[in-house]
Amino acid sequence: MIQKKICMIGSFAVGKTSLVSRFVDSIFSDKYITTVGVKIDKKTISVGTQDMTLVLWDLEGEDEFQKFRVSYLRGTSGYLLVSDGTRPNTIDVALKLQQEVETAIGAVPFIFIINKHDLIDEWKINESDIDHLRSKGWEVIKTSAKLGQAVEEAFLTLGARMLGT
Amino acid sequence: MKDSTVHELFDLLNVFVLKRSDNGTFQPLGSIPEWFLHLFPEALEPDRSCAPEEWSPFLENFLFDANEFWNKNKKGRTFSGPWIEKDSAGREFSLEASAVCLKDGKFFVVENLSKAYEVQLKLLQVGRDNSLYNELLEEEVRKRTAQIQDREEEVALRLVSAAEFRDDETGAHIRRMGAYSAVLAKKLGWSSGEIDNIRIAAPMHDIGKIGIPDSVLLKPGRLTDEEYDVMKQHAEIGGKMLAGSKTRMINMAHDIALYHHEKWDGSGYPSGLPGDEIPLSARVVAVADVYDALVHKRVYKPPLSEVETLGIMKKTKGHHFDPNLIDIFLDSLEDFRKIAAYDGSGKLPIV
Ligand SMILES: Nc1nc2c(ncn2[C@@H]2O[C@H](COP(=O)(O)OP(=O)(O)OP(=O)(O)O)[C@@H](O)[C@H]2O)c(=O)[nH]1
Ligand SMILES: [Fe+2]
Ligand SMILES: [Fe+2]
Ligand SMILES: [Mg+2]
Repeated sequence: MIQKKICMIGSFAVGKTSLVSRFVDSIFSDKYITTVGVKIDKKTISVGTQDMTLVLWDLEGEDEFQKFRVSYLRGTSGYLLVSDGTRPNTIDVALKLQQEVETAIGAVPFIFIINKHDLIDEWKINESDIDHLRSKGWEVIKTSAKLGQAVEEAFLTLGARMLGT
Repeated sequence: MKDSTVHELFDLLNVFVLKRSDNGTFQPLGSIPEWFLHLFPEALEPDRSCAPEEWSPFLENFLFDANEFWNKNKKGRTFSGPWIEKDSAGREFSLEASAVCLKDGKFFVVENLSKAYEVQLKLLQVGRDNSLYNELLEEEVRKRTAQIQDREEEVALRLVSAAEFRDDETGAHIRRMGAYSAVLAKKLGWSSGEIDNIRIAAPMHDIGKIGIPDSVLLKPGRLTDEEYDVMKQHAEIGGKMLAGSKTRMINMAHDIALYHHEKWDGSGYPSGLPGDEIPLSARVVAVADVYDALVHKRVYKPPLSEVETLGIMKKTKGHHFDPNLIDIFLDSLEDFRKIAAYDGSGKLPIV
């Protein structure tokens, strides 16, 4: 079976770990336990008739305390670029990280995730911000790790992109 | 040192050490720690070669960095950064790998971080919780500041409207004045704080009209020379009303009220200031005020077309107006048109 390495990339506390937990184990916790270092999970998905194993690298969020380690990206086939709709600056961090990743490993498929859709009333970004992201030709998906909304869709869409379909 | 001492030492340090031979294979040093066997039960079966890259995708990745490091043959140690490994029951273990290069040997070390990890986790957790909290506070401050600003603007506009409703200048003119001035200020490169200031201050330009008697202010038809002199006093009256404040916005409103009828060539009133002796805020408001008066209907005149309006403004460019501001104004015409269309109902087009 084919294996693909996927990285979870984004600012701290946007929900990278929560998205993986929801996707792999169907669980969610409201308590914030930050990730230190790297956590790797695996999950098999089917894209069309093709089965593939995703090797999910949950990386700790970039912040003032911890620098992003480019060497973790080696062999990455795709990534979820995760931001938090309630914190507009996480979009800026995502944009910055996207550039860093592209400089390091070139253009590989990614999906722009805006997480915490269940808190839509507290979102500080609006449709025109999202249109702006889409105008770059990027796929933008609004997810809620809490409710499980569009989480599977996000990973499957990335899976399909990595297969070039 | 005895081998058994070395093993005991490794055990105590919670490390599993492998020696790397020059052909790139690995040999465990000392006994294999229990936690390692627990996590990677198949790793070291007797008939298998010792291949760390097969133990975990994380190690597979780190070995690229490690090999690069060993190949440099420089004494030292490089770390993988921590990673989490789960056992078959889903319990999490925090580990870190490192590559060591000594004069007579290269080593690969896997360390069970346990306590050290928890300390690092706690520190980062406190740091990140704190950052989140700061973000929240900043957002709250931003929201409150915006609220206070809205309230200030509202109070100012209501007071000014009360004064101006006495003549034909409507509340809509007053609100439009703030918007035009803000457009010009932005093009001038003012800070957002200064733009907010002129947005609130510009509507006060004619506040001195409050001191002009009805017989003059509301007189239909032409004013006599004496009446015109009385009318002109609104600039100085406004200046006095707004003088001596410690607030930057009110100081700006003072300059605007006092000097908005000055002209670039020095032929205006009340002081006959020429050129850039006229405060910039007042020069900005002069452009906005005349434009708005020309394109709208007044008791003494019908509205002029845009072509006529622009003709007049360009013709008096260096006499009445700061020429640089007229260029900026012409550059902002689209915004001015939108603002001019605002009739006082609904929302003012924000630019
Ligand atoms: N309401 C809501 N909360 C969420 C959602 N996803 C994550 N959270 C919460 O957001 C916080 C951070 O989630 P994590 O998954 O730990 O975020 P992370 O990106 O892995 O953070 P780091 O590992 O520190 O970089 C936790 O308190 C989660 O419960 C969501 O979809 N909705
Ligand atoms: Fe005036
Ligand atoms: Fe006016
Ligand atoms: Mg995490």
